[in-house]
Amino acid sequence: MMKLARLSVLGVITSLSVLVGGCAGSPAGDEGTSAAEEGITIGAIPDQDPEQLQRLYGTLAGYLSDELGVPVDYEPVTDYNAAVNLFRSGDLNMVWFGGLTGVQARLQVDGAEAVLQRGIDEEFRSVFIAHRDSGIEPFEAIEGLSAMAGKRFTFGSESSTSGRLMPQYFLGDAGVTPDDFQGQPGFSGSHHATIELVEAGTFEAGVLNEQVWEARAQAGEVDTDAVEVVFRTPTYHDYHWVVRPELRGREGGDFLKQIVRAFTGLDASNQTEAQILELFGAEEFIVTSNHNYAEIERIGRETGLIN
Amino acid sequence: MTVEAPPKGTHALDLEGLPPTRYPRRRRRLVTARRFWAITIMTVVLASAVSLGFGRQEVVNAGGWPLVQRFFAAALNPVLTADFLRLTWDAALTTIAYASVGTALSVGFGVVFGVLVSQTWWGLDSGGRGRWWSRGGWLGARGLLGLPRGVHEVVWGLFLVSILGLDPLVGVLAIGIPFGAVTAKVFSELLDEASGRGFRALRASGTGRVKAFAYALGPEAFPDLLSYSFYRFECAVRAAAILGLIGAGGLGYQISLSFYSLNYEEVWTLIYALIIISGLVDLWSTLLRRPNRNRFKVRPHGECGSGPSMERDRFVNLSLVGFMLLVGVSAGHLGMQVSNLWAPRTRNLLSDIGAQAFPPDFSAATLSSLWGLSLETLAMATVAIAISTCLSVGMAFLAARTVGDSRGRQGPTAVTLALGSRAGLLFCRAIPPPVWALLVLFVFLPGPLPGALALGLYNFGILGRLMAEVVENLDSRPVEALQAQGAVGARSFLYGVLPLTLPRFGGFSLYRWEVTMREVVVVGVVGAGGLGRLLSAQLNAFDYRGLVSTLLALVALTLFADVVGSSVRRAIR
Repeated sequence: MMKLARLSVLGVITSLSVLVGGCAGSPAGDEGTSAAEEGITIGAIPDQDPEQLQRLYGTLAGYLSDELGVPVDYEPVTDYNAAVNLFRSGDLNMVWFGGLTGVQARLQVDGAEAVLQRGIDEEFRSVFIAHRDSGIEPFEAIEGLSAMAGKRFTFGSESSTSGRLMPQYFLGDAGVTPDDFQGQPGFSGSHHATIELVEAGTFEAGVLNEQVWEARAQAGEVDTDAVEVVFRTPTYHDYHWVVRPELRGREGGDFLKQIVRAFTGLDASNQTEAQILELFGAEEFIVTSNHNYAEIERIGRETGLIN
Repeated sequence: MTVEAPPKGTHALDLEGLPPTRYPRRRRRLVTARRFWAITIMTVVLASAVSLGFGRQEVVNAGGWPLVQRFFAAALNPVLTADFLRLTWDAALTTIAYASVGTALSVGFGVVFGVLVSQTWWGLDSGGRGRWWSRGGWLGARGLLGLPRGVHEVVWGLFLVSILGLDPLVGVLAIGIPFGAVTAKVFSELLDEASGRGFRALRASGTGRVKAFAYALGPEAFPDLLSYSFYRFECAVRAAAILGLIGAGGLGYQISLSFYSLNYEEVWTLIYALIIISGLVDLWSTLLRRPNRNRFKVRPHGECGSGPSMERDRFVNLSLVGFMLLVGVSAGHLGMQVSNLWAPRTRNLLSDIGAQAFPPDFSAATLSSLWGLSLETLAMATVAIAISTCLSVGMAFLAARTVGDSRGRQGPTAVTLALGSRAGLLFCRAIPPPVWALLVLFVFLPGPLPGALALGLYNFGILGRLMAEVVENLDSRPVEALQAQGAVGARSFLYGVLPLTLPRFGGFSLYRWEVTMREVVVVGVVGAGGLGRLLSAQLNAFDYRGLVSTLLALVALTLFADVVGSSVRRAIR
């Protein structure tokens, strides 16, 4: 019995000392940093090609750090809600958001600004896909979406702009509300999963990001005997980098200019920079601004995704 | 100072009106509590299945078989490149670090609150009877625990992220708080189940409550508490999926990342890693329980008083110290900022969210939709647990290492079966519920039923393990006695094993039933999911007012399940 007691005490003391040591070591560094030479923390919504982006972020962080001359940390946050909240609390200074989440984030932080997007994000589209057995034929006009009524239908993630918000809006234009599907619409969780579920026939139709569809179709990973594109939506603005106000005002705005230059100057002939472009599925980055997302905000309010 | 009163039977149900002394009372009652609950449970399970559309609509979608096959075929080709193994290794370490600190927190929480919400502490007898204020106090304490328990760890994680930011503390607390509340509930029941005689004797002789607990109930309940703590550790390893919220990575997070990109070969590498960790934890806890099992055999020889139960062997001691070291090192490695808890920023962010959440949405329309969704949640959880209970009961006996042939010996077949079924169970619980949901959805049409099936399969892995442990921890004397008298295989099993195990099995099923209510949060992909689906819609729209009312509905469901659960447990004990 004594032995047990002694051993336990030893254990507790050791753990406590390690714990205290560990805690005491770090705070000083964090609290001391406040002003100019401070590094930045960035993050990205895992929507498009979650895997590549989240696992190979070191490349981007390293590149930015070199360009900006300050430490850059990349935090691979997986959840839309968490990313928005971390942006709000200031833990993330700059985030790669989707159209909707970018607006949600800006609405929670006064003075936040949309600064950069990819070339393709200016004219982004969603594709509606259907199983061959569903009886839905390809169509050109938006009214054709009324064919989705009465079908088993799945969106992508709930907060996805291309997998949910804009498609729901276009469906509404054709007079189809989420209550008109057979049963409730699914939320597959990712663009890739949407393809699989329609291919399986679980859902007769679904909608996703055009870019993901093209990439998978070109790679021959889609069974085109089972599933086909029935409609390409009109264009809208999607993914973009949003910065917090303190980043905007830093060094009288020069810091932000540097960030913008770092992205717009990405050169596909340089190996590292080409890799970054590839990670984002981009050919180039271009400048954007808040007013490009006014439409998304309006639709977000209409659909109840923005309060 | 009351010493136990003899239990009183109620005669209200004596149908024939005969004097109660003539025959043994229990035989003559047509409606016993047990039968009442057996019939009620069966009715509820059937009604739930029907309400989810069972038998009324087409559910199978054969077209998706090739996709499921592709997933399982990938099991043979896990990605084993150096880069990916490195990623898996880092993820595994992160997972273990968070899981161990989270478990330590939840066990600490569980011990303190487990005592405070036990019936014994409040002076209630095993039937839950006692003075009104004791009963009120007990109910109140237990109700308070429903709050942290009714909220899924993902929701805790999201809440904590929004007030604490990118602090590793978020991961630890998101595991520690809800698990702590679950642990407290289970500990309190274990304490109450450990016979309270020693405790009452000590109290009667004037010993203080805390001391009486420490000396009478503590040692007696220790093996079960220890065993449960290790089970909790394993749960924490799986729950560490939520670490993606703070960008910390971890196995669960990597699994969903690979899964949603449809890289099944990668998914399998990660699942194997999770299976290995869970398997090691499982093995550790089995080794730990071994000396305690012997304890039961020692006791009848009259050494009870001298305390063989206190004499834990070296392995137990080393394990305790080892675990504490693991926790210490992990905590140091994670570098949590505990001071963050009372930092001004945290307070500001909290009051900010508080302002957005108040007043909660209690409009009539909201309440009526919450009611409907609560029923759907209840039905899904019920069907899920019915499925997993049926599967687990059979599996438990296969998986238990102690079940041997008619003479109690284990042949190579029995060992192989035991190991094989253990591995199967490990596999079932290593696949996160959202992944199960998507897999099930490949071959079933969308709706609440596939959601229930997915949760059922996941819970099968958990319940099967818990039940196998019950079989292993079983008092072997009745079986030995039966076998000594010549009872063979089936008979010694029917009369020696089943009566002892079924009540505990029922207890575990009820416990998982309660947990599953909040688990429906994570299977929204199926196009159903009751309150869970609403919750995730509200989270995505940052609708805090609606969120509060939904969370309250989930807490109410949890409390309801708790009350039902303890009534049933009392009836079948």
